Formats: sequence, C-alpha cells, structure tokens
Amino acid sequence: MEADVTVIGSGPAGLVAVLHAYENGAKNVLLLEREEELGGILKQCIHNGFGLEQFKIDYTGPEYAERLIEEIENTDVRYLLNTMVIALSPDRTVTAVNPDKGVFKVKSKSVVLAMGCRERPRGGINIPGTRPAGVYTAGVAQRFVNIDGYLPGKEIVVLGSGDIGLIMARRLTLEGAQVKGVYEIMDYPGGLKRNIVQCLNDFNIPLHLSQTVTEIRGNERVEGVVVSRVDEKMQPIEGSEQFIACDTLLLSVGLIPENELSKGAGIELSPITNGPVTAETMETVVPGIFSCGNVSTVFDLVDYVAETGMTAGRNAARFATASKQERKSIEVIAGENVRMLFPQRYFFKDDLVLFIRCAKPIERPLRIDVSPLDMQFKKLYARPNEMIRVKVPKDRLREITEPIEVNITER
Amino acid sequence: MDVEKKHFTCVICPIGCEIDVELHDSNVVSIEGSKCAKGKEFVSQELKEPMRILTTTIRVKGAKWAMLPVRTDKPIPKRLLFSVIEELAGIELQAPIKVSDLIITDIAGTGANIVATRNMKRENKGKLVQIER
Repeated sequence: MEADVTVIGSGPAGLVAVLHAYENGAKNVLLLEREEELGGILKQCIHNGFGLEQFKIDYTGPEYAERLIEEIENTDVRYLLNTMVIALSPDRTVTAVNPDKGVFKVKSKSVVLAMGCRERPRGGINIPGTRPAGVYTAGVAQRFVNIDGYLPGKEIVVLGSGDIGLIMARRLTLEGAQVKGVYEIMDYPGGLKRNIVQCLNDFNIPLHLSQTVTEIRGNERVEGVVVSRVDEKMQPIEGSEQFIACDTLLLSVGLIPENELSKGAGIELSPITNGPVTAETMETVVPGIFSCGNVSTVFDLVDYVAETGMTAGRNAARFATASKQERKSIEVIAGENVRMLFPQRYFFKDDLVLFIRCAKPIERPLRIDVSPLDMQFKKLYARPNEMIRVKVPKDRLREITEPIEVNITER
Repeated sequence: MDVEKKHFTCVICPIGCEIDVELHDSNVVSIEGSKCAKGKEFVSQELKEPMRILTTTIRVKGAKWAMLPVRTDKPIPKRLLFSVIEELAGIELQAPIKVSDLIITDIAGTGANIVATRNMKRENKGKLVQIER
C-alpha cells in the first residue's frame, strides 16, 4: 500500500492529525488503529471536561470522539481497524498486521506517531508483598467499569493522585464501592485541582499526601495494603506503617509513552518526556516522521493533545506535498525551575508553542523568560501538576542563532 | 448567635482560589480569598444548592459493549446524584442508540434528561466488525 500521510493511533491526537493532514492538502491519508473502533482512550473516559478550550463545549470523552469521528466519516480518509503496527523504518515504511490482510507494508511520504501511553504497572514502582488478584491500573479499572460493566472491587485504595486515579475514585464511589483513600507519595497532588474538588472532596474521599503503599497483603485476593509516610527524599519512614483493609488497589502512578515503534525507527527519545525529541512542527529527528499527543509527553488536557495533533497533521501534509525539505534547527532548553519542556527543538517553520512543567510549585506571581529573546510571560502561580502553555511568534525567532532557554523565576 | 466557618476551593477556572466563608445564623457575613466575582457566585451556589453534571453508564443489549455511557444534559443537585444512579441501575437499553439520543426525561425529578454520549451500533458481541473502509 501507499499513502501520503499515515497516522498511527486514533485517539484524540491521531483523529485530529488525520483531519488536519487532509485539510492541508494530503490526498491519500491512512489511519491505522489496533482496536476495533476509532477513539482510543476517549471511549472509556465517560466524564466531562473535554474540549472546553478547543470547542468551548463541555464534552464527555465519548462525545468528543464521536464529533471527530463524524468529521472523518465526512472525508474520504481511509482507516483500518484491528490493525496493529509492528514496525516503522526510518524511510517511513510502516509494517502492520490485521486479520484480513495478514502482514502488510505501507510506503508513506510522511508518518504521524499518535500511539499515546501505557500505564505504569505495579512492577514499575516495585511495591513489595504478595501477588494477589485485585491490583489494577486505574485505566484498566476504568475500562472494566465503563465499557464492560464490571466492578473491580468493593473496598478500594488508590495509589497515586493522577487525574485517572481521581476520576476513578469518584466513578467507583458512584457505582457503590467504598474508596478508603487516595495516597500520594509527593507532597502535592498529581491531578488537576478541579478533580481534587469534584472527585474527592465531593464524596469525602480522603487524600493523603507524602504517603505511599509499602506492602500488598493477601493470597488469592488483596486483603489489604500497608501505607507509610515518606520523608523529604521520598523514603518510607520506619514506624509510620499503617494497615488498611481493602480488596482492591488501583494504581495511578504515571503514564509511559509507547516507544517501541519510535525506537525501531531510530528516533531520538528525550529522557525528560520519555517521548520522541520533537520540534515545534511536531517533527522528530527523523525527517518525515512526526509525533503528537501523549506519545510525545503526557499532557493535562485533551485540548493540548489536539493542538499538537493539528500541528503534526498540517506539517505531515506539508512534508508529503513539498518537493524540497530544508532543515535548520536549534535546541530548546529547560532552565531554572523547569522540569519538563516540550518541544525540544526549533525548526524555524511555525510559532513556537511551549508546554512547560515547573519543578517546584510557586504560589506567587512569577515570570517565564524565553532567552535569548527579550520575552517574558507573567503568571500568577506555577504548579508541577498544571502544565503551562505559552506561544512565541515565529517572526520573533527568525534571527536567533543560539539555543532557546526557558526559565521560571519569582517576580 | 450561631457562627459557622466553611471552606471552598473554587473550580470555575484552573487557579482554584481557596475561599473562606463565615456565616452568622446561616447568613453569609464574609467571603474571602476569591480573586474574582465568579468565585463569590460559585460559593453562593455551593451554599444554596451544589450542582453537578452526572456522567455514568447504563446496561445495553444487542451491542458489542455491555455499557452505554450517558450524562445529564444539565447540572443536577449534588444530593440527588445517588438517586439518579439508583434509578438507572434497573434499566436495560437495546442497541442501536445514537449519540445525544434522549434516554430518560426528568430523571429522579431533577428536571434534567439522561442522554447517550456515544453511538452504539446493533452488533453481536465478539463479532469482528468490518475492518476496512
């Protein structure tokens, strides 16, 4: 098979990338999805809060997906379901497999990676103890409840205060389970403030900061967990152990970008985001391979995911239809109090939309400096759990020759 | 005089102001910590009657999946969330269903309707759907 633009994954990033590749002149656009329908994780995120910035409408995840799917159905974009991409080469040949075609190859002028993330499992944080049934990642529990109609347990402890964990604490409470508490190893919550209020406070679910699960007990089924307080170095404090009886432990302890295809294609990965090193065009270091959404870095809002999908789709179409590709590149560097910065390169083609996570919370007015430009953005606060988005127009960047550095300092 | 203090975190915008309210005999005498007027409105509504959108699922037959996601089409009183959930627990729907289809009107006397939030085609469970378009 051949395609102008091939998009891998049909979650929010992939759906938006497909639409924007198509709208920007790519004629032969192909979307590959490993599941049996389009939409990715949106299908199980039945809560609202999607698309507030993008559409100014408060959609649920499935509604947001249906809106984009309908737009795709109104184009002549092709998609293949039940289709797993198993390899990607630097020359943009995609190898995939499905029950109809077996193993097949797609030669594509450009490729967009939109595979999203996996959840970090128990093994990823090495919780000691036995190995009973009843330990789930929050997203797996979400799928059980919202799509398959199973309640994963009745007495639940949630480890990690990421948004999925908070959303599931509420969801399981509504479905009749008792959520005994959410435990967070950091001294600040991982999820958005609105989720702390509407998912925990509304239902009197306690949030325990600077505490973590240090043992899982139970033979056939989880019988309880031991939680401990942690010190400033996040090490459990001896003598602070407390046993909590429960039949289920939900893990909301981080997301890991799906990198197998990227590695195989020789794409440089960032040790900070764990996703591909990407430019403002969403192009990776391999020409013609673009990356967007949560496979690049974990975003807080679907609106941000969609924004990177738009950029990736538009530039993938541009790459597929242009005759000559010139590439001038400088680095974008995280400076003071910046834990995560995306993208990591500037290719002098688009405005530079920066997504920033601070290292330490600041609850006072602050400024974000973009050097060597004399450019400042003022904010009232910065929190590690709330990504900051700022936009540097491309005409301000035309003349620069040295790396762009981003610093956050108090005003 | 009965003095009561209450604390709220405003969720109108991402700032999330921490707002303290003082009530004397159930009358608001001070609202502090809000950076804008909307925060005060939020607190007034929370004191009067907290309202929430409810999103949940209903069992569905004749579809690939067991559950249909649904929502209330407007916020409902928070105290009625569990009444609505209970009412929906006894219901079983039949596919096909379209996104935004009206499922139940005036659920549990809230004045809000329950609407579907996705398309649910009529299909046999486990059947592989058409995979190419």
